[in-house]
Amino acid sequence: MIRHTLLFLGYELRNTFRNPIWPLFGIVQPVVYLLLFGPLVAGSSGRSTADALTAFAPGMLVITALFGAIGVGYGMIYELRGGVLERIAVSPAWRPSIVLGRTLRDAVVLVAQSVAVVLIALAMGMRASLPGLVLTVLLVAVTGLFASGVGYGLALSLRDENGMAQTMQFFALPVMLLSGALLPMTLAPGWMQKVALFNPMYHPVVAGRALFAGHLGDPSVPLAFGIMLALSALTVTWSVRSLRAIAG
Amino acid sequence: MIIDAHGLRKSFTARGRRGAPQTVEAVRGVDLAVETGEIFGVLGPNGAGKTTTIRMLATLIAPDAGTATVAGFDLLKEPGRVRGRLGYVSQAGGVEDTTTPRAQITMAARIHGLADAARATAEVLDRFELSEVADRPARTLSGGQKRRVAIALGLVHNPPLIFLDEPTTGLDPQNRANLWDSVRRLREGGTSVLLSTHYLDEADALCDRLAIVDHGVIVAQGTPAELKREVSGDVVTLRVSDPGQAAETLKPYARETRVDDEVLRVYVDDGERALPAMLRDLEEHGLGLTSISLDRSTLDDVFLARTGRSLRDTGAAA
Repeated sequence: MIRHTLLFLGYELRNTFRNPIWPLFGIVQPVVYLLLFGPLVAGSSGRSTADALTAFAPGMLVITALFGAIGVGYGMIYELRGGVLERIAVSPAWRPSIVLGRTLRDAVVLVAQSVAVVLIALAMGMRASLPGLVLTVLLVAVTGLFASGVGYGLALSLRDENGMAQTMQFFALPVMLLSGALLPMTLAPGWMQKVALFNPMYHPVVAGRALFAGHLGDPSVPLAFGIMLALSALTVTWSVRSLRAIAG
Repeated sequence: MIIDAHGLRKSFTARGRRGAPQTVEAVRGVDLAVETGEIFGVLGPNGAGKTTTIRMLATLIAPDAGTATVAGFDLLKEPGRVRGRLGYVSQAGGVEDTTTPRAQITMAARIHGLADAARATAEVLDRFELSEVADRPARTLSGGQKRRVAIALGLVHNPPLIFLDEPTTGLDPQNRANLWDSVRRLREGGTSVLLSTHYLDEADALCDRLAIVDHGVIVAQGTPAELKREVSGDVVTLRVSDPGQAAETLKPYARETRVDDEVLRVYVDDGERALPAMLRDLEEHGLGLTSISLDRSTLDDVFLARTGRSLRDTGAAA
């Protein structure tokens, strides 16, 4: 069981890093936000760019996870159409390992992407606590498990690029805005802050800010880890079940 | 017997945009018996239930009813054991465009737990004349090469039974002929083959035995020769001014006559002998003849006799 999961993980990682165009593409958006939106936030709040980046960068990591999920969902639909999943399904592979190997690959890719984004932010003058950075990258990895679980679950349930595009477009923007990744929710009216609490992506952003600032004991940190671990268990189970539904 | 299936049924519920969900009975009670070491064909038009039948036997979808033993194991009780002894090549092929054939096949070998995955991969690549393109991304391969990669993926673990779903669809005649040879070599190596096709010539030339399916049921089963003998030895196809009248005139010679638009088909036992007399009778009755041809009856004639439609008319090519 573990052997099959590791086999798929290794195989998928080799494929991804042989041609790393998609992981690179995945960090374009957060980096552009860092470059253009960061200074804008700094200017409007009257803080220094370094301070603004410390508050802004954690949100970019969460956005990377969000867009990553959309990408892996499309990849799964492509594999479905090409008969790849069907072929693997008629093999002695342990069923959950087919999805688990891919989900773990996504988490590894996301960690690499996060490190790249953090390095770019540091190069731009961001200051952050090192243990805070490490813990945030870990939190983002768990967030990535949740996000790719959603991506695979949707892909395997919808099985169609158009439905996928519509669903993603419908949810991506409100989820991004209500996560506070771009503009902090403290600027929002009270009702919106309450709504944001129910947005899963809100919690890693808040916890990431606290961690970057060096508040390792902030209560938002265990809360975010708890919520993300629970949700990723849920969505990964969902995607494994969806695979069983299409491939026996 | 490598496949022994009884009463397989499967229906799908399609959700329409409006109104009640529609139930489509894709397979309505199929019995299949495939002997070890033979090439068994499932012939039928698109939508006849061929793919659904193969997907059920490959453990991909659970039948609504019926039982089957596949490669020595019960399909419903031990699907995992069945998968280990099966090669499955879908219509889509399942070849990953971005990765090399060697990487994909090696991975398939590892999943099957082969001790020396690299060697098994090299062997199967060699067998399908793919060694030279083995390390190129699959998207750079030709249609015929890709199809061979798909089959190599299903064969790397040397299964006793392989399923080929429409293996030559979309291939040019040259590649089709090559693929037929590959399939025959599989049989020589002792592998049993279950393939589906909507090509009449493919079923006729390649299969030891076949089942003709239409609307989810088997309408005829046997060797191609047996099936054709059942219809009649020869078929005389005529274009005449009055096909109805001509059919009446030629009845004494025929086992069966069939009129489709302006074409009259007369099924006779011994065409060479019957033809001169038939021509004479037509002339005596003053029936103007545009064209006439004498052919051995084909599987299409079997399909026509059993379903009242020509397989060619259902959209499938000859």
